[in-house]
Amino acid sequence: MTDVPASAATPGLPARLWDLMGRRPELFTLALIVVTVIGVAIANPNFFAMNNVFDILRASVVRGIFAMGVLVVLAAGGIDVSFTAIAAFVMYALTMLVTNIFPGMPLWVILPLAALGGAVFGVINGLLVHSLRAPSLIVTIGTQYIIRSALLTFVGTALFMNLPASMEAFGKASLITWTGGTGVISTLPATVLVLVVVAFATWFILERTLMGRAIFASGGNPGIAERLGFNLFHIRLFVFGWAGLLAGIAGIVHVASNRLANPFDLAGMELEIIAAVVLGGARITGGSGTVIGTLLGVLLITLVSNVLVFVGIPSTLQLAIVGIFILIAGTIFALRQRN
Amino acid sequence: MKTLAKLAGSAMIAGAMVAGAAMAQDKQSITTVVKITGEGWFVRMDEGVKAFDADNEAIDAVQVGPAQADAAQQARIIEDLVAKGVSAIAVVPMDPAALEGVLRRAQARGIKVIAHEGDSIVNADADIEAFDNAAFGRKINDGLAECMGGEGKWTSFVGSLGSLTHNIWADAGAESAAANHPGMELVAAKNESFNDANKAYDKAKEILRAYPDIKGFQGSSAIDVIGIGRAVEEAGLVGKVCVYGLGLPKDTGPYLESGAVNRIYFWDPKDAGYVMNVVAAKVLAGEEIADGADLGVPGYNAVTVTQGPGKGIIIQGAAWVDVGKDEYKNYPF
Repeated sequence: MTDVPASAATPGLPARLWDLMGRRPELFTLALIVVTVIGVAIANPNFFAMNNVFDILRASVVRGIFAMGVLVVLAAGGIDVSFTAIAAFVMYALTMLVTNIFPGMPLWVILPLAALGGAVFGVINGLLVHSLRAPSLIVTIGTQYIIRSALLTFVGTALFMNLPASMEAFGKASLITWTGGTGVISTLPATVLVLVVVAFATWFILERTLMGRAIFASGGNPGIAERLGFNLFHIRLFVFGWAGLLAGIAGIVHVASNRLANPFDLAGMELEIIAAVVLGGARITGGSGTVIGTLLGVLLITLVSNVLVFVGIPSTLQLAIVGIFILIAGTIFALRQRN
Repeated sequence: MKTLAKLAGSAMIAGAMVAGAAMAQDKQSITTVVKITGEGWFVRMDEGVKAFDADNEAIDAVQVGPAQADAAQQARIIEDLVAKGVSAIAVVPMDPAALEGVLRRAQARGIKVIAHEGDSIVNADADIEAFDNAAFGRKINDGLAECMGGEGKWTSFVGSLGSLTHNIWADAGAESAAANHPGMELVAAKNESFNDANKAYDKAKEILRAYPDIKGFQGSSAIDVIGIGRAVEEAGLVGKVCVYGLGLPKDTGPYLESGAVNRIYFWDPKDAGYVMNVVAAKVLAGEEIADGADLGVPGYNAVTVTQGPGKGIIIQGAAWVDVGKDEYKNYPF
């Protein structure tokens, strides 16, 4: 793991490769993933088992959906830290509503409702950022606290163990079931499909629509974007709305695959998601970023945080390892972008 | 404004003293103040308080608490009770340090103060602890060891490395296993779940991968066993891996039913609520509670009494409850 920066920063490295990575930062993320995988496989050769691959994919789903929203906000030059609170609010309130009032509600109603609820919170974020003319970091820290507190005060604090049948079935649905040599069963959950759809939709918006162009333009330089005729107000409403919408969906996926709704869940995930997006090649200052790079960044973060026990690192040391990894990767990215 | 408040305050105190004097003549009153009303744990505690009220004709026992878990609101409620002039206050403190001032005022008025889960409180006549934490950890590990047949790899979970009781339980379990069961090997000890069932699940999955021959899990946070149970269930290892730990009957129910979680340990807030009132009544009657005393509640039949940080005593029971698939329904919380 530690020899990455050394080899990447060596002046002797072919300039062509360096240039290529400058143009396609996601290739660099991919290289980091490959190096990590090799490192882990050397430490514990059992790593290349199908159940491992499944587990890492499964653990990437909620992170990945969140990251798509963060990517869009970052690309537009903003930042959002309220998405975990939005997700917690939507998932808990909706689970409560469905359990107590409409126990038979099918998933195709629940998911759009969650998306709608999340989008409403997101649009409020956008309205506040625009009308207060305040940094989006401060605004979303504020709304994060308000949303979380409102959830715990007015909605509830108790766990929901018995989920509505449709959500339970969604969480248990599997695409592939695989039985390992020791009789351990692993499944690739159907929730992965949600990430696939979300990633495709985000890619389409960013790369194939006028809104996508407007987002990158406003993230690069809002003054010029405005003079080019892009409406910054609409862009802000859209990006925060999209982040909120995806947060709502991520919340339901979290509840379904967790098989319980706990209003205290998801808190504190914001920074690792933002880290994943930045490690995927998006600039924290806006104007750049790709869907594929972000997905690789999520995979990298999930990989690093999910293999530490496997490699045999004691639990007191695990956070430090993740931190060091983010630091190293982040530094290399900063160096590369300066070039 | 200030004078007005003072006036209102003294008027209330005067009224309370009259009322208190009137009440003292016929009935004693004990008010139990909990952290939050409406939560399953304290709804169950209220049952104990109500049972005590029904059993004791001469004493009025009620339970109150703030609508949200907030130390300041709890302090305000106690302030009101002091003004009202109850005979005794039994409190489950949200933040013990935040209540010291108001409890001192209560004691200065002659109100007896009983605490539960607050052994650091100075201004209390007695504090009641359900059990000795190290003994609780050993108890969980004993169950685990029996299930594992005293052989094989096992691991422990804690809510976080900073949460004191969880670490005492996990450490005591580890010591007990090392001393009594040489065949048991502790691997990757004290995994942090951050009180998040999903994190516990992810960690448990990882451990199942890293140690395919693992035989046992000991959980500390109430949601640890839920996450571990799901990992065990999904891996098709129900019956092959033993899962023991702190848990709440209603929340863990589905996993006890499926067998993914073998046994959960907790203490019954109903008994704690009842015993707080028993102790309050004894203190009011001037009775001394000696080491080894029987308070007439299961688990508190031979309590350990030690000196607390202030003038009060700390009363420790052995009031853990452990339930499996067949008994958990007896505890509806």
